[in-house]
Amino acid sequence: MPAGGADALRPSAFIPVCTAVCLLVGSSSLFFVFTCPWLAVTVGPAVPPCSAVLFLFVLANFTMATFMDAGVLPVAADDEDKDDEFRAPLYRTVDVGGVQVRMKWCSSCHFYRPPRCSHCSVCDHCVEDFDHHCPWVNNCIGRRNYRYFFLFLLSLTFHMIGVFSFGLVYVLHHMDELWRLHCTVTLVVISVSGLFLIPVLGLTGFHLYLVSRGRTTNEQVTGKFQGGVNPFTRGCCNNLEYLVCSPISPRYTARPRGRAVVHIQPPFLRPALDGQTPAKVRGNGLQRQDFQNKKNSVELSDMKQTKTPPPLPPKPEHSLLRSLAAVDERKTIIPVSIPTVPQLRPVLEAISRGSSPIPPEQLLKTTEQPGSSKGPDSRESPVRVNQQPVPAPPPSGAASGSLQLNSLALASRSLTLKHGGRKSHLAAAYADALGSNPPTAAPPSSLLANHSGSSLSYDSLMHPHADPPFMSHRGVPPVGYHSHYVSLGTDGTVGQRPPPHSYSPVFMGVARRSPQPRETSPSLQSLTARGPSPSFQGFIQRDQSPTFQGLLSRDLASQSGAVRDLGPQGATPQKSAAGRYDSLSKTIMASIHERRELEERDRMLRLQARSQALYGPDFGIYDIPSRRSLPPDSARPPGSRGPTPPAYGSREFLMSTGVLGYGLRTSPLSSSSTSSLTRGPKAAAAPLLSGSLQGKARSSSPAYGPADRQAQALPLPPSTATATLPRMPSSSSPSAPSYASYATAKRGSLPHSSEGKDPVALGGLK
Amino acid sequence: MATEFHNLQELRHSASLVTKAFIQRDYSEGTVCRFQAKFPSELDNRIERTLLEETVKTLNGYYAEAEKVGGRSYLEGCLACATAYTVFFCMETRYEKVLRKISGFIQEQNEKIFAPRGLLLTDPIERGMRVLEISIFEDRASGSSSPSSSTSSAGGAR
Repeated sequence: MPAGGADALRPSAFIPVCTAVCLLVGSSSLFFVFTCPWLAVTVGPAVPPCSAVLFLFVLANFTMATFMDAGVLPVAADDEDKDDEFRAPLYRTVDVGGVQVRMKWCSSCHFYRPPRCSHCSVCDHCVEDFDHHCPWVNNCIGRRNYRYFFLFLLSLTFHMIGVFSFGLVYVLHHMDELWRLHCTVTLVVISVSGLFLIPVLGLTGFHLYLVSRGRTTNEQVTGKFQGGVNPFTRGCCNNLEYLVCSPISPRYTARPRGRAVVHIQPPFLRPALDGQTPAKVRGNGLQRQDFQNKKNSVELSDMKQTKTPPPLPPKPEHSLLRSLAAVDERKTIIPVSIPTVPQLRPVLEAISRGSSPIPPEQLLKTTEQPGSSKGPDSRESPVRVNQQPVPAPPPSGAASGSLQLNSLALASRSLTLKHGGRKSHLAAAYADALGSNPPTAAPPSSLLANHSGSSLSYDSLMHPHADPPFMSHRGVPPVGYHSHYVSLGTDGTVGQRPPPHSYSPVFMGVARRSPQPRETSPSLQSLTARGPSPSFQGFIQRDQSPTFQGLLSRDLASQSGAVRDLGPQGATPQKSAAGRYDSLSKTIMASIHERRELEERDRMLRLQARSQALYGPDFGIYDIPSRRSLPPDSARPPGSRGPTPPAYGSREFLMSTGVLGYGLRTSPLSSSSTSSLTRGPKAAAAPLLSGSLQGKARSSSPAYGPADRQAQALPLPPSTATATLPRMPSSSSPSAPSYASYATAKRGSLPHSSEGKDPVALGGLK
Repeated sequence: MATEFHNLQELRHSASLVTKAFIQRDYSEGTVCRFQAKFPSELDNRIERTLLEETVKTLNGYYAEAEKVGGRSYLEGCLACATAYTVFFCMETRYEKVLRKISGFIQEQNEKIFAPRGLLLTDPIERGMRVLEISIFEDRASGSSSPSSSTSSAGGAR
């Protein structure tokens, strides 16, 4: 019995195990001593050895099932969950083979439980692929030891059948000598084995059924896949194959820690701009070029505006400053203007439209050394550039010569960086370019990438649909980033546009992993937070929207015109950075006000949506934290995190409102889903959960939600599971095992839930 | 000389842990161990995207190899059965072998790629294979130049 929670180590927890061991070993020993000699003589000499081997197999599997770690997941370290528990949703959805599976937050272990993972209240830990907690081995049955448990059941069934049948043969042959010791003992043995054979047979049959369907006991009993598709099944044969042939997964706890120490010493390398930006260029170039006429002012205002939420901007700014310092100190800059000018162009076009007639890209171009011929080449003859081999990296002397100009470019990019948080995803690329060039083999490849990237970005101007592979390869965030701004600018009523119904599970999965603390300016933060907002995903999903395409074609012409204008121009006089910034600020301030108005509208809409969500029938996947449902502050145990008011503008709230249209839940669940659906403090969440669930009948909707909660409510009263053992009416048999106690305990903790829910399970025993 | 020594000490201890980026598991193919290829935004200006993606892809490959249901794992199971599982006392399972390989790979990646960039990859097994944790360190010395300079000047004054 591995070390578990307090309940697993209680003396009373060992009673079933000891009973099982005594019965098994005792009966079998008596069989071998009293019955087998006669069998060896009468039936055949192979009978005792075979029985012995089978018995050893039973014992081995029993031992493994008892002592093997079921796949216990270690408790997450504190720094893994940086977000306040009360602001985070209780559930997080992932897509498993096309089926949306919910991962519930485990308040004891501090992580979102992986699919099929469940928390065992007896042992007080989360177990991977949790099947059930078996009191007869006093251990959880999970991923690592399920096969041993199953084989134990199977072999025990055969052993008991063998003992019973051979004992019966013996008794039938000695009917006239029943008073003799051997006969009496054999009679006792066959009655014990016969009595326990029925439940063991039933349980074995039940688990055979589960394996064929690819379910765990937990899932079967909670009815998770009653109405839906089980994404974890591989088919009957493959399930059996997986059961027997899959490699034994490692234990996660108590691992030998023999790792060497890695020294981390500054100065740190920073990625080159060449290496980073092409990705962003490809991903962003298209949208940015397309919407530059409309969105540049908005973007600039966004960048400026995001200074207001305090936590988000400092990090990108900080890193930018550091990279700036790195640039100055190390002087390993590669010509940064080449890949970034296409991106800077829309910004700079706006500047030029605002006041400055000379876009800084001109300045960048003028200071480019002859050796760095990629820039003008890429702009003017994209086709030619594509086929050209990559030129060698220009000497750093050239780079240092353009240091002054790079600082200009840096300054202009700093505006994009102040956008903060997730948006620095794009802007950081710019900063990175100005950071030190890592002296590894990366530069040549990155330059190559940069080269093709810049040419491609130019191509993308002319042919917006031309390079899907690169764009898609670069992932969604840059696309989403600009799509977001597109949404703000295109119709100005982005707030009214409902978030999409389908979310990329990847984004949902990582939405919570922002290391940034949440802030009190919800609307701003929500739109500029590190995680993707629903509108991101909306545009990710809806990139075929007519608006998008229309703008694409419309802006393409203007952009191509601008490119041609800029292309042939040669040396142009430099303009001071200060002058450029002054002209920027006017446009920025105007856009800031516009942006604020839009966000106000967004916030109002969300407030309405949220109030609708609270009273509406469908909740979808996310459960909205509700102030009313949270425990009172006074009841909070010391040291636990207090409840926070629902963050209307927070990412989770946006997601939850966005999922309103899912319609996966039915009305009876709505009230239960509002109650205590935040992660909450450990102590308070448990009674709330069980309290809310006790009165609810199980609905027929995809029962992951209610079933999961029921499953959670089940282990919550930990004493119930063991306490019901002595009260079990029919399970005097030690082999009725785990399942009967599980079912009874479940019944005990959910007195009001419908009884007809697991006919298979109960029928299997009776 | 005292100043130089002081500066060296400052340099040696000047990397401080700032934050951690997490790469989550990719459950799209079930409960097999895979990590998402998504690039965390915190690492935008710390490491090239391709490098990290390569690392994650290689790790995914290792895990796929470890979890492959095939002849080798079947033989291992049969052997274990035949010996009443006593073979586990002597022999290392295939998964464990691959895990050691992974551990070595992560160590090598840390030394060659991540540590020079102020990052540290944590073996996912230590987190229960739930996340791939990347610790982000910052150069405290360059970030807060005044304290170090003051100490160095103090050292110099001495």
